[in-house]
Amino acid sequence: MSGARRREEPPHAQQHALANGGGAGPRGSVWGKALRSDSAWHDKDEFLDVIYWFRQIIAVILGVIWGVVPLKGFVGIAIFCLINAGVLYLYFSSFRQIDEEEYGGTWELTKEGFMTSFALFLVVWIIFYTAIHYD
Amino acid sequence: MEMLWLTAWMAFPLRITPLLHRQAENTSFPVFCFPLQIIGSRACHKALFIRLAESKVLSTTNDKSAVVISAKIVLRLLGWQLEKKKETITESAGRQQKKKIERQEEKLKNNNRDLSMVRMKSMFAIGFCFTALMGMFNSIFDGRVVAKLPFIPLSYIQGLSHRNLLGEDYTDCSFIFLYILCTMSIRQNIQKMLGLAPSRAATKQAGGFLGPPPQAGKFS
Repeated sequence: MSGARRREEPPHAQQHALANGGGAGPRGSVWGKALRSDSAWHDKDEFLDVIYWFRQIIAVILGVIWGVVPLKGFVGIAIFCLINAGVLYLYFSSFRQIDEEEYGGTWELTKEGFMTSFALFLVVWIIFYTAIHYD
Repeated sequence: MEMLWLTAWMAFPLRITPLLHRQAENTSFPVFCFPLQIIGSRACHKALFIRLAESKVLSTTNDKSAVVISAKIVLRLLGWQLEKKKETITESAGRQQKKKIERQEEKLKNNNRDLSMVRMKSMFAIGFCFTALMGMFNSIFDGRVVAKLPFIPLSYIQGLSHRNLLGEDYTDCSFIFLYILCTMSIRQNIQKMLGLAPSRAATKQAGGFLGPPPQAGKFS
């Protein structure tokens, strides 16, 4: 019975996603919802995925900037961690105003995709730093 | 079909070796070749696990991301569910119920056996790809500085980041450190992008895997 219930959930969630996001298709509607402060998330995993991908985008952008400037040392790592955690915290607490308890608390939201984004940041930072500032 | 996948992806690194040699002479960025191994191994995983899904092992979940790694977890949970059912069954439940449970146990045993066979093939293929690629990277990049780190790593990481490199400049980066970082970042993201990452529920269950799940009723 739960298998049938689980099979029903994704189309239902998708209908909601389409209803909320308009006619841009499921992927477009998710990002449309992410950028609007008033939309509701019926599928929790969808919101966590948005947090995850936002983290990856921030990691790439900061890695490029840190590599180009260049910013060196653990100061760079510390500032990345602060910006990564801070921006996402502002996003889900102030902009989206979601109930953190619904998603397992602030810590769960903070650590969602953090290690992967940190590794991606290091890779991008190292590559840009080596390419631009070293022969 | 699966063996074709495996052969193709094993042959792929051997074909790109000459390209990598030429590339390695001009630049020290091995990053681009790491995702290929990762995609290849995960593609093998997916092909083999789709076969498992067809044998109705994974029909209890519609979660596409559970196909790859969560098959084992799903079977384990089905086993727990069955155990729980056996505990609650009373003497008066009748022969039919007991026979039904026995049939389900038999089916579970067969599916576990199929899963072990499939995982063995996939693990063998991944191990072979990994060994071949690591051997190739070692021969190309061993002892060479592939990148410059913009920071000095902690002392216990220097063993990895400065592996087989001469000198005391710990901002020199060896290929293995960059490879590990790429595995952690690019592989995870590609898995997520292609829908091959295990679902969060499956990951959480795997984290508390030593005992029965707290909400076995979730799958009933």
